[in-house]
Amino acid sequence: MTMTNVNVNVHHLTRVEGHGNIVVDVKNGELVKCELQIVEAPRFFEAMLRGRPYYEASHITSRICGICATGHATASLRATENALGVEISEQTALLRKLVFHGEIIDSHVLHVYMLVAPDFFGVGSVLPLAASHPEVVKRALRIKKLSGDLCAMVSGRHTHPIAMTVGGFTHLPTIAEMLAMRERLVAAREDMDETIALFKTLPWPQFERETEYVSLKKDDEYAFIDGVVATTDGFTYELGDYRKVTNETCVPHSTAKHTKHNRESYMVGALARFNNNYEQLHPRAKAAAEDLGMKPLVTNSFLNSAAQAIEIVHCIEDSIRIIDELVDRGLEEEPLYEFQGKGGEGVGSCDVPRGILFHNYVIDDEGLVQNANCIIPTNQNYANMEADMRALVPQILDQPQEKITHMMEMLIRAYDPCISCSAHLLNVEFV
Amino acid sequence: MARRGEGSAPPATLVIGLGNPLRGDDGVGVRVIQALQAQALPGDVEVVDGGTQGLGLVALMEGRRRLILVDAAEVGRSPGEFVRFTPQEARFLGTDSHLSVHAAGLREALLLAQALDVLPDEVIIFGVQPANLEWSSALGAQVKAALPRLVEAVLAEIAVSPVTVEQGENKRG
Repeated sequence: MTMTNVNVNVHHLTRVEGHGNIVVDVKNGELVKCELQIVEAPRFFEAMLRGRPYYEASHITSRICGICATGHATASLRATENALGVEISEQTALLRKLVFHGEIIDSHVLHVYMLVAPDFFGVGSVLPLAASHPEVVKRALRIKKLSGDLCAMVSGRHTHPIAMTVGGFTHLPTIAEMLAMRERLVAAREDMDETIALFKTLPWPQFERETEYVSLKKDDEYAFIDGVVATTDGFTYELGDYRKVTNETCVPHSTAKHTKHNRESYMVGALARFNNNYEQLHPRAKAAAEDLGMKPLVTNSFLNSAAQAIEIVHCIEDSIRIIDELVDRGLEEEPLYEFQGKGGEGVGSCDVPRGILFHNYVIDDEGLVQNANCIIPTNQNYANMEADMRALVPQILDQPQEKITHMMEMLIRAYDPCISCSAHLLNVEFV
Repeated sequence: MARRGEGSAPPATLVIGLGNPLRGDDGVGVRVIQALQAQALPGDVEVVDGGTQGLGLVALMEGRRRLILVDAAEVGRSPGEFVRFTPQEARFLGTDSHLSVHAAGLREALLLAQALDVLPDEVIIFGVQPANLEWSSALGAQVKAALPRLVEAVLAEIAVSPVTVEQGENKRG
């Protein structure tokens, strides 16, 4: 039996990193409203950067997101370095890739295990999952501990990359630390084998809607930092032309801007990277993809979470490779950048856990930031999430309303949206 | 400088400051950590700037004997006043059925740590009443004025040795 009237109104979507409301209204079988209402706009920090010295920018922006601190710091540093004409050494490039991998693993494992897996186990959250399947949650925490320690080893601290600075690093890991980390990364293969085996058994929803997939691209590696912007519709752009891709516009129901390029919307994130850069995946990651039955072009947005699991495999393997290279080369203290009294404009881009991120700064001859623009991945995904919702709702109208609501939540969660940057206040009542 | 994470035998006491320093008084936990990092601390103490991590905090808890948390919290006091309490003395408000990583990361992290039996024997929370959580990279006047007292209180807490719990005794929290 087809329900002709459906009214879904999820206030403050749970298990995404922030706030968001889902509104779906179907009258007499017709979809009259289908919106993702975003109630938090993380754009105020651009004003915070104005007038601040160039060397503070990465530390300020790394606080935008508690999950993507390294990603924001890296994009920020690349924007500053491009503005000031700073070349980075190969050692710095390798260390940045290594810490970036740590953050990708860290963020993805939290998302796929703590936020997505409970849906498939039919439990409301990771808390009952910890009771029913403690081994699953403990495995996630083991991987999370490893990636957190990897980040801390390179960037100085858990959660806040203090050692990353314009042109290089203010401290370096020791060879012994790197070798110990290598051992742990190798040992993590077992956990990842089990992860992929688990993900293979999960009942991924059937839903296909092709869209344009946008990510960074490089010829010689699976791109996370620098490169060009590439889309599955065949476009490529230099980073300086990022606005030709994002085309930001305001929409009435959300304080966050929407973006579109060649179609009504585009998608960024793990699935977009997977679709654009599959060839550059590590062989073990490709084997994981084969296990999961995934090969480009994958057009099921729910599988963004599966693409994240594949990326964890890739990042663990590539971290081992980078450590080997660094140990072979040996690490050298390098002179830190000194400001030359000449400003400029620069764009920095990274493909952070949730997708492609742009920072764009204008720095004056005093070394102060005069203008800043930042486009986060989640903003770029909003239009695509809504397009997916509009496509999915008519396909599941015969389901009970509760099921429709749950599917909508699962769909939005698959994008791993971050609507964060908000205060995290504990509300306490004393007993 | 913060200690690096090791694979085994972490320092017995873990101090985590939470919050976003770009959101006004929400950054108080992180400011406390910055103050602690500038001091000489006992060798078995690790201090961590937890930022706005939610469930991820659980990964840091295993193998510790004592967890000291500093966070902005709605504790029903005047701005800048802080309350020292244990999870047994408080109820964290929120809904269990809808777990939001955003809304109460600490609350869920404590519940998850308990469910996985990795919650340290002793958990002490310093909840600081904020005045302003708007976008600002500075603390408000009241919370800023309270910062030295708060750091002192956390240092005094650190100076006390962690409670030793006998094998088999129920874990607190």
